[in-house]
Amino acid sequence: MDAFNNLMYGFGIALEPTNIAYVFIGVFAGTIIGMLPGLGPISALALMIPVTFAMEPSSGLILMAGVYYGAIFGGSTSSILLNAPGVAGTVATAFDGYPMARKGLAGKALAIAAYASFIGGTISVVFLMLVAPVLGRVAVSFGPAEYFALMVLGLTAVVTLSDKSLVKGLIAAVVGVMISIMGIDLQTGTERYTFGTTHLLDGIDFLVVALGVFALAEVFYMLLRGGGGKEQPRNAIGSLRLSRSEIKEIAGPVGRSSVLGFFVGVLPGAGATVASFLGYSMEKRIAKDGDTFGKGNIKGLAAPETANNAACTGSFVPLLILGVPGSGTTAVLLGALLVMGVSPGPMMLEQRPDVFWGVIASMYIGNIMLLVLNLPLIPLIAKILDMPRPLLLSLILIFCMIGVYGTSFSVFDLLLLLGFGLLGLGMRLFGFPAAPLILALILGNIMEESMRRALQISGGDWSIFIDKPISLALLIIAVLSLCLPLVKKVILQARQTRG
Amino acid sequence: MTAKNSLKRLTLLALPLAAVAASTAHADEWAPTRSIEYIAPANPGGGWDTLVRTTARVIQEEGLAERNFAAINVPGGGGAVAWAQIARDSGNPHKLFAASPPIILVPLAGTSRYDHSDFTPIARLITDYSIVLVSADSDYESLTDLVEAIRDNPGLSVGGGSAPGSMDHIAMAGMASAAGLNASDINYVPFSGGGEAMTNLMGGHVEAVITGAGEASGQLEEGSDIRAIGVSAPERMGGVLADVPTYQEQGIDYTFDIWRGVMGAPDMPAEAVAYYEDLFAQMLETDGWASARDQLGWIDAYQGSEEFGAFLDEQKEQFSEVLSELGLRGE
Repeated sequence: MDAFNNLMYGFGIALEPTNIAYVFIGVFAGTIIGMLPGLGPISALALMIPVTFAMEPSSGLILMAGVYYGAIFGGSTSSILLNAPGVAGTVATAFDGYPMARKGLAGKALAIAAYASFIGGTISVVFLMLVAPVLGRVAVSFGPAEYFALMVLGLTAVVTLSDKSLVKGLIAAVVGVMISIMGIDLQTGTERYTFGTTHLLDGIDFLVVALGVFALAEVFYMLLRGGGGKEQPRNAIGSLRLSRSEIKEIAGPVGRSSVLGFFVGVLPGAGATVASFLGYSMEKRIAKDGDTFGKGNIKGLAAPETANNAACTGSFVPLLILGVPGSGTTAVLLGALLVMGVSPGPMMLEQRPDVFWGVIASMYIGNIMLLVLNLPLIPLIAKILDMPRPLLLSLILIFCMIGVYGTSFSVFDLLLLLGFGLLGLGMRLFGFPAAPLILALILGNIMEESMRRALQISGGDWSIFIDKPISLALLIIAVLSLCLPLVKKVILQARQTRG
Repeated sequence: MTAKNSLKRLTLLALPLAAVAASTAHADEWAPTRSIEYIAPANPGGGWDTLVRTTARVIQEEGLAERNFAAINVPGGGGAVAWAQIARDSGNPHKLFAASPPIILVPLAGTSRYDHSDFTPIARLITDYSIVLVSADSDYESLTDLVEAIRDNPGLSVGGGSAPGSMDHIAMAGMASAAGLNASDINYVPFSGGGEAMTNLMGGHVEAVITGAGEASGQLEEGSDIRAIGVSAPERMGGVLADVPTYQEQGIDYTFDIWRGVMGAPDMPAEAVAYYEDLFAQMLETDGWASARDQLGWIDAYQGSEEFGAFLDEQKEQFSEVLSELGLRGE
């Protein structure tokens, strides 16, 4: 009952006319920022700090939180329509979203993404409200050893992401890990694979690789197969409506991914990207029609899209309860709160309940606004696919280049983008899947850093990974998830020979 | 004839002299003729970025400058990418950037070709201090307890928010050295930010953490899981940190400043330097600055161009000693 009273108090704040306006401005700006690659939520929020400076802290955070989850909500659009994920959290959305759009189901794909985001966002806010105070403990129980184990578990998704040939999937994953170790090594300050140029000191940005091997490679591939355009009916947007059986089909994935996404999001540093990949590979394993994942399966779209939005809400737990940021975006939010004179932390629930409950209540309102705002826009946005092929391909090219240049202002990165586009084309022509490369690139960094941090703490003793119960449990799950398909196969074969 | 001639010669000599005199008179009146590129050599959200955006905002709100200070982020290489860019713009009076100890530490580690001596010091503005934290239920009651524990067990893990050989590591190693330990006895565990280091302290994954006092102060209110056992300031700090003893109070003669200031493109004309020096000195006097500074937990520590330059040289000497002791000096 306590939570209910608090929530009512929160709605009292969030429903003040000015705050409703801030929620609206926030989610609206966020959706647009999410749709355009390059201007990610981090830079958008940093630019907003001066604006929020003079605001009431609760209003300021309501506005900025709106931009953050709005951007994750809107981020699916370019993944689905153009195969060009603008933020890391929406890479997995492209796996099945883009094939759906190619089949002429763009409208339905965008609608599923919107519903999945809405439900993931809303369920996770309920969690945030009910269990956040308890979860602070859970978030800090994850140290370097536990993160390493979590990343190992995440990497086992490579198996589910490489559909045709496991060997080719593993090769792609190794290349991904190799790219992830480029740049200055945080543990020793040594430069690795920088070839003496300052451009590579920070390694290669994820966005450059993702836009290259997904979007640019797709453009090259289409050019190579002749710019004809009779290959698929591009102009069909299709209906937005979901049939009853489809709703039934995605209900399970959406429910599971909401929970999974929220809890992964709570862990500082893991965030939306890891959550979306885990959600995707979990559903692919559970599904009876797992082999159609990657070819336009609606469950494969709903799961990551739910998980990334739920994770975004989850990332508010360490920020609001512990006062420590779990990601780059929440670090900027923390900075903004400090400037407004609020220090999030253990005492915030007592000292500034208006900020805490006001923001939570505003998230319910914001998610509804996002749904209402996005659904009518879908037919308009999806019209982009009606464009003549040559125009569309040039548009994707420009879109990718602006996205990359907009984040780094570096011509060198544009050349890299081109290089990764060619790499992606080569991979497609020779049947190497791109998803394991991206997954390994994203996870490789955290995995390596956590492993070396853990070993630094233990003085080089590897048993730290099995002495810690959480880490041990995660590693066992990882081993099981690798072995189960093999065991299944063996049992099946045994049965067949017996039968 | 000769007299006339020499007189003529004198005027010829005097003309350029007069011109020189006129230009010195102008010196105080130099003002930017276009927008100032005000660079944060990192991504949005960090210390440099906050300094750039806050000072730019105060200057604009208080109407201190005719021209706009445009905040620009040039991330990469812990600052090295931006420095390489700015170093190419010698003599440009419209290019400033935010600086702090990494401008000395990164080149010393060997990952930047340019160091502080390649740029024009404008002014040191603020400072923060290091703070040593342990978990609330830890046995270490004072810095001396921690130092003794490290003496007995050099494997004891101390987390920090930056890479080995950078700010937090140097601050800890320097303190250890002053306390009679080997700087390399510190088992330093680098995290990707002070926040992450503190989370790991709360979870009991590391024994102690060193980070910026300003960043930690939000964590040190009542009911917190972590406790501070020493600050690197020369005297006690204010607010929630008033109860935290300094290193010196605990018998360790060591202080460490996490200063932040503004530098300019190489060989900036003296009159431009004077203009900016004056501008920032004025800014520090405004009410807008005072409120922003207090909210961010900064402490004013103004130094003009010349003094700041000498301070930077001093810092370099001090840091290279610690880095050599740690075996982290690059070439």
